[in-house]
Amino acid sequence: MSSKNNKNNKNIMIAGAVIAIIISVLAPFLASSNPDGLDMNLINLVGGGSEEHAEELIGEKMPIEYEPPMPDYSIEGMGKLGEVGAIVAGTLLMLGISFGLGKVLGKKQGT
Amino acid sequence: MHIGDGLIPLGQTVIYWLIALVFIIKSLEWARKDLDEMKVPMLAALGAGIFAIQAMNIPIPWGTSGHMVGAALIAIILGSPFAAVLLLTLVLVVQGVMFADGGITVMGANIVNMGVVGGFVGFYSYNAMKNSIGITGASFAAGWLSIFIASLVCAVEMYFAGTFPLKEGLLLMGLYHAVIGVVGEGFITALALNRIMAVRPDVVSERSVPGAGVAA
Repeated sequence: MSSKNNKNNKNIMIAGAVIAIIISVLAPFLASSNPDGLDMNLINLVGGGSEEHAEELIGEKMPIEYEPPMPDYSIEGMGKLGEVGAIVAGTLLMLGISFGLGKVLGKKQGT
Repeated sequence: MHIGDGLIPLGQTVIYWLIALVFIIKSLEWARKDLDEMKVPMLAALGAGIFAIQAMNIPIPWGTSGHMVGAALIAIILGSPFAAVLLLTLVLVVQGVMFADGGITVMGANIVNMGVVGGFVGFYSYNAMKNSIGITGASFAAGWLSIFIASLVCAVEMYFAGTFPLKEGLLLMGLYHAVIGVVGEGFITALALNRIMAVRPDVVSERSVPGAGVAA
């Protein structure tokens, strides 16, 4: 019975992964490129016409210079395909990390 | 409402990291006590789904946009606000480190806003309402409240940082997220919970079923 339930719960992960990948593939085409609420506030309340310029105006110095590999969910020079690839990669990474850490950190099954 | 690096002075980011760490440690304790093997596939499904849906910005008026956070949904399904803290922390680490969505130094503040505030407001408001108005209404309201309150906390942090004036910050962050909360957070939280309840009610925490008592 326990193994049957485990198998059924694996189906939940598969269903979740399928839905998440469908959203990931559609997101670059459907998502709004308008600034989000926080960025809009930066533009309106700090000024400078754009979020980047507003951030420059604030100009807090960072102790580290770090360049993420796929900034703004894109892969350089790959256009929309790169965006799909970046979001799908992130989704699969999250699936793996959540499952792996869940197994490691979670309650150990008493046999 | 992902805060980027540079928007909060470094000294203040340390405070948010310390608050976040307290809740992260508590979330690890929750996992060790409550996250049994049956719940791990759901944790993974929610982790992937929340990451994907956060990449889907929905347009709202005033030329702006927003996306679901997902903390209320995680907390309701897995039956603890600490589940939301744990998953939102993982999502924010992946977003910040891989995709430059949300900063690294300010990650503590983002974890506090979306994971802690979103998760706790979502979980306790759902539980306060589930018996009186049912799971659909309660999950919609909990989703809405979770993102609305988180956005107000974010506005206060931006005030302390010297980035936004208090009144305008609260007003605009509140206004934008009140709208995002209806389309993005409330609707999707209620829809997802409804579908999961219809197909596999056994994987939803018994704490979140109407009639059950509330215990964190």
